[in-house]
Amino acid sequence: MSEWAIISQLTINSILFGSMYGIAAIGLSLIFGTMRIIFLAQGTVIIFFAYICYWLLTLLGIDPYLSILLVVPLAAAIGVGFYYGIFKEAAVLEDRNISLLIAVGLMYLMENLMMVVWKPDPRAVVTAYTSWVFRPFGTTIQFTRLMALVLAIAAAIVVFIFLKRTLMGTAVRAATEDPVSTKLMGINPNLVNAIAFAIGVGLAGTAGVGVATVYSFDPVFGFMFTLKALISLALGGIGNVWGALMGGIVLGFIESFSSYYIGGGWVDAISFGIFLLVISFMPQGLFGARGSMKKHKVKR
Amino acid sequence: MANPSLEVKGINVSYGDIQALWDVSLNVEEGAIVALVGANGAGKTTLLKAISGLVRVQKGEILLSGKSINNLSPQQIVDRGVIHVPEGRRLFSTLTVMENLKLGAYIPRARAQYAQSLERVFGLFPVLKNRKEQKAGSLSGGEQQMLAIGRALMAQPKILMMDEPSLGLSPILVRTIFQLIATLNEQKTTILLVEQNVYQALKIAQQAYVLKTGKIVMCGQCEILLADEEIRKAYIGERGSKRS
Amino acid sequence: MKNNGVSEQPDVKNPPISFLKPLSRIGITSRRSLIYFGIGAIVLILFATVPFYLDVDNNYLGYYLFIVFDYIIIAQGWNLIAGYAGQISMGGNAFFGLGAYTTGIIWLRNITHTGYYFDPLVMLLSGVLPIVLAIIIGIPLLSRLRGDYFAFGTLGAGQILTVFAIKFRHITGGADGLHLPASVYTSMEPYYWVSLLMATFATAFVYFIMRSRLGLALKAIREDETSAASHGVHVLRYKIIAFAGSAFLAGLAGNLFAYYLFLVNPAAEMNLNWIIYPILMVVLGGTGTIFGPVLGAFFVGALFAYGSIYLKSTHPILTGALIILVMKFMPGGLMGLKDQIFARRKQT
Repeated sequence: MSEWAIISQLTINSILFGSMYGIAAIGLSLIFGTMRIIFLAQGTVIIFFAYICYWLLTLLGIDPYLSILLVVPLAAAIGVGFYYGIFKEAAVLEDRNISLLIAVGLMYLMENLMMVVWKPDPRAVVTAYTSWVFRPFGTTIQFTRLMALVLAIAAAIVVFIFLKRTLMGTAVRAATEDPVSTKLMGINPNLVNAIAFAIGVGLAGTAGVGVATVYSFDPVFGFMFTLKALISLALGGIGNVWGALMGGIVLGFIESFSSYYIGGGWVDAISFGIFLLVISFMPQGLFGARGSMKKHKVKR
Repeated sequence: MANPSLEVKGINVSYGDIQALWDVSLNVEEGAIVALVGANGAGKTTLLKAISGLVRVQKGEILLSGKSINNLSPQQIVDRGVIHVPEGRRLFSTLTVMENLKLGAYIPRARAQYAQSLERVFGLFPVLKNRKEQKAGSLSGGEQQMLAIGRALMAQPKILMMDEPSLGLSPILVRTIFQLIATLNEQKTTILLVEQNVYQALKIAQQAYVLKTGKIVMCGQCEILLADEEIRKAYIGERGSKRS
Repeated sequence: MKNNGVSEQPDVKNPPISFLKPLSRIGITSRRSLIYFGIGAIVLILFATVPFYLDVDNNYLGYYLFIVFDYIIIAQGWNLIAGYAGQISMGGNAFFGLGAYTTGIIWLRNITHTGYYFDPLVMLLSGVLPIVLAIIIGIPLLSRLRGDYFAFGTLGAGQILTVFAIKFRHITGGADGLHLPASVYTSMEPYYWVSLLMATFATAFVYFIMRSRLGLALKAIREDETSAASHGVHVLRYKIIAFAGSAFLAGLAGNLFAYYLFLVNPAAEMNLNWIIYPILMVVLGGTGTIFGPVLGAFFVGALFAYGSIYLKSTHPILTGALIILVMKFMPGGLMGLKDQIFARRKQT
């Protein structure tokens, strides 16, 4: 393959891979932005929905892309449940450890639940179209990967419109900046937080479908995914839907290119290394308009 | 005395182990401007936060037109028309002027009057109308203060509580703000004004309370307070000149 | 009488019994602290005598206690940096692993020509090398990152080091790791004694640091960094010292674990459990308290031991559920619970 062909293939892979990280990162961004909670269970939750997608196909014959209509509302509802059930009290505590540990506990719980109930063997969704491949200009694009990108962009658009054009979305953005003033507007903080969780987990549901159709997955896959989503978030900057998505794609680039040119085992070290550099020297992220995790002290 | 619109009766407020307010009582009559003055750290902001529901009240009562409102949620208190303009303005700097104003009218009661409120705010602050799509963080200090007050007005306040509106503003702007406060009062808005600029506050208000380390140490009609030796020495300076 | 940063109001004018005045030097200044010390001393003696009436070799309790003591060491380390200094670190696994690798490499390559098995020099080096690492990564991370960002930074650093451990196989043995000569193992007894000693040392280490000027500075930093800095506290230096202290303890714990497992590889000594479990133990027991990590280690250890025997496959699920429940209802941990009980008593 010519050098150009290699680079364009890697670029395409980067964008396709990275978009999955991006969706996960958007969810993390919302939950962190409104409640300063690092939702470490995000990746595991994504895998959970990948399983749901798998079982909907295997047991009920529902096509994965159609199952989104079921999975996303279910995911949003579960997100609200997470908030009211386990995170609500911790969201207002000063000690950030508590919410961190709750997220860890949730991750453990779900990971092992999946292992026991669904066995640790990897699963993969197989349909008529999972093997479709396009070959434009000498590159290879898998249909399902492309669809995952489409899903990611569609999800980002929906979230963006919600945040920018609806009153509730504006309230969420306000809460991300100043939770106290938001209360003084008569806005119920629980409502805002629940919505953040609903969107965050709803996005996880979307990503779950994407992951199910693209990868073979198992319960332990989740945590690494969460770490990648965190890196994407740091790269993209908080408080910015497109930033988070782009952060994921940038990570996709880092992984694809370093995997090819430097070799498999080093990819994680490079990803984390760049992560460290970015949070040290550019805490607002590569695309952050304003505000970084650093500046986001809880205004009480 | 007419029926007080807002009555604070002997409240105690603590932050953890540290008590910030000790048996504080305060009355705000309907249609009045009441000033609350005191040094930094005296507890003025804490008192406002107690009224607006941001901090818990450990003892005592807060009554709005006779009905108890202490320890209600901030949302419920906003719903009842008590609007708190916080210290330092605390605008949503990444949101536009319009978005800030829209959020000000978030509660259903205010949303119903959105158009009228907006007209009123733009009438009072034409500069905000000119900058309505600008991000709030890019406004000047004076404009931000106007936006903060405008945002509060969008909530159709029955009682407006302002925490140091003149903070950080140039003397000219300070005058403008205080004129505005007087205008609002003429338009039948009850105002509880917390200020460090004691002279201006006492000039504009009818009644004042002096808060010192969490306790009310003085209260009364403002003309009397303005003439009082201790007050002049402590807060105004010998010649009674403006402190901005 | 000088009060070197003891957190409670000491009853200095009336020490409990006058001839115990010298004890105020180590922090016994009130009836309450005397009781704590008393309980601690009794518990210590009890544990010290266990091997005399229990066959630690063949009894599960021996293994359980060893693991608990090992966890106490690393937990106190985390308690120091996160509980007392307020900087949440998620890279403890790197220091633990480095301690283990130091042990393994020195032993297998015959570097110091000493005994190696439970050799004090090796153990010391296993604690010291992590200190060096802590300073190297601590300076950039602590000077630039605060709060959550620092936590991620340490997480990232730990992950990078894990990759190094896998990649530099000629030193570390790669993913397979270093196999230590298991033939030198004779009995659990030395493990028990040494780990008990080290756990006590770790607890005392953190205790005395917190009683010193350094400890006062750390607490000030935790409460309000800017204010501390404006009072002349050299924030970065103290943070690094605390970080190094936590690395030291983690390294010692890693060394012990290496002796126990006779195997040093990323999966065993650098896996994320060595981050999560210590945090869980400290938070469960009570962050920023001296006995919290101890209580937490015993409790969590018992939980896991029980679970892995009786509820083999499902116990991690229950662990997850338990973490959630405890954090939701008892965020102050066990020590916090004790405070609540005593506070209630005072009111009635």
